[in-house]
Amino acid sequence: MSGPAVSLYLDPQIRDWVLFPITLVMILVGILRHYVVLLLQSPPKKQSRAAIREQRALVRSQILRATAANSPLPPSHYNAVSQHLADAFNTGSYLKDGPAKSDAAAAPPNPLTDPAAMDGMMAGMKTQMVMMVPQMVIMGWINFFFQGFVLIKLPFPLTLGFKSMLQRGIETPDMDVRWVSSLSWYFLNFFGLNGLYRLILGGENSADSSRDMATPFAAAAAAPQLGQAQDFSKLFKAEIDNLEFSKGLHVWVADDVETRILKKYGRAT
Amino acid sequence: MEVTAALQKLAAYERHESQKSQKLLDNASSILKSYARQGDEGWEALEKLTLAALDQGDIETADKCLKILSERFPDSARVDCLTGIRLEATESPDIALQYYDELLEGESANAAFGRRKASVYRRIGKIDQAVKELSSMLDTYYTEVDGWLELADIYSSCQQYTYALQSLSHTLLLAPQNPFHVLQFAETAYLAADIPLALKMYLQVVDMTDDDEEDVPPIDTIPTGLTLRAWFGVKLCTHRLNTEPRVGSSSASQTPAPPTTTLSSLDDLATERLRTAYLNTTQESPPKTDSALIDALAKVISKPGTT
Repeated sequence: MSGPAVSLYLDPQIRDWVLFPITLVMILVGILRHYVVLLLQSPPKKQSRAAIREQRALVRSQILRATAANSPLPPSHYNAVSQHLADAFNTGSYLKDGPAKSDAAAAPPNPLTDPAAMDGMMAGMKTQMVMMVPQMVIMGWINFFFQGFVLIKLPFPLTLGFKSMLQRGIETPDMDVRWVSSLSWYFLNFFGLNGLYRLILGGENSADSSRDMATPFAAAAAAPQLGQAQDFSKLFKAEIDNLEFSKGLHVWVADDVETRILKKYGRAT
Repeated sequence: MEVTAALQKLAAYERHESQKSQKLLDNASSILKSYARQGDEGWEALEKLTLAALDQGDIETADKCLKILSERFPDSARVDCLTGIRLEATESPDIALQYYDELLEGESANAAFGRRKASVYRRIGKIDQAVKELSSMLDTYYTEVDGWLELADIYSSCQQYTYALQSLSHTLLLAPQNPFHVLQFAETAYLAADIPLALKMYLQVVDMTDDDEEDVPPIDTIPTGLTLRAWFGVKLCTHRLNTEPRVGSSSASQTPAPPTTTLSSLDDLATERLRTAYLNTTQESPPKTDSALIDALAKVISKPGTT
């Protein structure tokens, strides 16, 4: 345990050649990573017209259904539109690849074989790689050259619980917890530099690696879900039932408009 | 959202040779000098200047602006659309159509190109092609209210009022809160000889547009603008239902005509409303008979400034 006097004296060279370089390298790598990710991000792929049409077909029926309870359309017009949509969904004329053949309809598309879904997954993997590789290199560098270095002394006392956090890589049970080892300094930077990046690069930066660390495969996990949601023929079939329901709910706003107007103008009989 | 709105404006562009564009064109040199310093606004000013120059037939200025814009935004659909309008101005329609075809084939396919193509077809008189283009565009981009309105307009210009009604019913679905669309629907229904439907729609417009927020009861207000037009339509419908009872039973949309008592009180109310409006706009006592009143009101409504 340290007495009232300073028990350890740190060479200022350690400050100049270890503490500052580690911090500086980590900041620069973060900034570099931000720009590499920007380069790697391929622009979202433009969809073909048939694909857009397929996606928006559902919106059509949703708009129709949303108005059903207070519909601006008379029943005959409403039913015509509704019937048209139901027929189109039934025959599958809105599907991207045209009406499905009866035998090949069963299996949903496998996201791994669909090149569009692959792209999404690859993009996630690429950012992962850009995050992992430099961090591994830096950690290796610190471990190789500066293992067991004590870099700074915190200006405030801490309890023993912080020992594993601040003195990683130094196996001394007796040293004051205020001393911070090189590996711990690396981790403190790793999690703590986000604020600085936000200051330098703006809020939507991709320099912060700790965020990716928290959800390591989120990007990759989101892609297959996207792939499975694309089974439009099933969605269309379900939408036919919804259209039937809404047809039952249909009320024309103008149904009793005469009496409403007469009442408003004081001519109610 | 702003980009889509801008694209819709470009898609709806038509040559007017208006005074406004002349005025803008007079400032051309100052805009061309200062656009770089104004950031986003400067680019928008350039776009407007291009349109104004095309409107006035000043191809040279338009080309100058287009060159700057396409250098700054090489892949922008907005610039592509503007280039298309520029082509329409000088080249033959076939070249413009071909240009739009290429754009529609490409990656950045966009509803605006389809609409421009339809307007080119319409201008050279190929109405069937225009309808085909617009319907296929709307089949993909269902939510383009303006596209539906234009399709209805084309159908009405060919007296295809039933089809026009169908297009308008889509605008009603997409923007049920807009009384102008309802009024247009009512007027088209009237032209399609579906009088009971027209009557209901006119009443719907009245219900949507009379200001019932104010303290004055609606009976004491003076109908103006849209409301007046709607009352005029109501009067037309009740008049026809009264004089030719047969039209009440021949509704293509199976809308029932109101019972006789309701009809007569509606007729009374509409007459009273129209007389109030007439008295207030012309300061003369309104004509007594129905048909004379309708004729007199038609003049009031068609006068600019009252609607």
